[in-house]
Amino acid sequence: MTTIITLLLGFFFGFSLNKAGLTKYHKIVNVFRLTDMAVLQFMLTALVVSMAGLYTLRGLGLVTFPSVPATYIVGNLIGGLIFGVGMALTGY
Amino acid sequence: MKLIWNYLHKEIWSPYVAGILLGIVGILAVWLSNSLLGASGAFENLAGLIGKAIAPKLFDNLYFNFIMPPGITNNVVLLIGAFFGGMLGAATSGTLKWGKKDAANSDQQWKRIFGPQTWKRWLLGFIGAIILEYAAGIAGGCTSGLAISGGMLLAPAAFLFIAGMFTAGIITTLVIYRNRF
Repeated sequence: MTTIITLLLGFFFGFSLNKAGLTKYHKIVNVFRLTDMAVLQFMLTALVVSMAGLYTLRGLGLVTFPSVPATYIVGNLIGGLIFGVGMALTGY
Repeated sequence: MKLIWNYLHKEIWSPYVAGILLGIVGILAVWLSNSLLGASGAFENLAGLIGKAIAPKLFDNLYFNFIMPPGITNNVVLLIGAFFGGMLGAATSGTLKWGKKDAANSDQQWKRIFGPQTWKRWLLGFIGAIILEYAAGIAGGCTSGLAISGGMLLAPAAFLFIAGMFTAGIITTLVIYRNRF
């Protein structure tokens, strides 16, 4: 059952990424050239919607949060820095 | 109804609409399966699976035993779903180029910057992907797994990651594009 749910979630995940154009090289790179902000608009809209939804649901006592990604400042920052290089090269 | 149908066939949606869809998927992921949306972890799980079979000694370390246990995990299932979802997205907008000419390298902007050779794109993609996965391993997630999923739970790690990602991304494109920036 969980497998099917996960598969479906993944399905819509891929669908939304594709429709936002994030599967295209120029969309990803142009956000770094600051000429096309679609990636940021997409990411931040998703963030706002899910933040609002999740915190409302938690307030109603309907969900418990899974463990959040661990914070270790140096690792996260350096990982992010290297990741940006790969992202700009690949357009992932 | 017709309006929705037509919209489904549009190639590029408004990023706001697609973002709302992803936001809902993110909520449902936490609500229904108590997990986060991650993409890069799946590759590590699969790499661990292959690595353990080929060189068990080399892969018998802390990272592959405890942090990223190999196997067909939730992440892998999610990635399979995402593959087909993306495929359907391309099919509905008529850009699915399975087996057609130029299918492997169809991005005009890429060709303008690096040249028309397909092998170049594959090579750069491969190198870039190695850097990506390595960095995702250090940071503990990628754009979807850490930046979006962590961000929606207000994890500080996500915002540190986003800051690093954009700093390095902008610098790298500056180097690649130079005067064409």
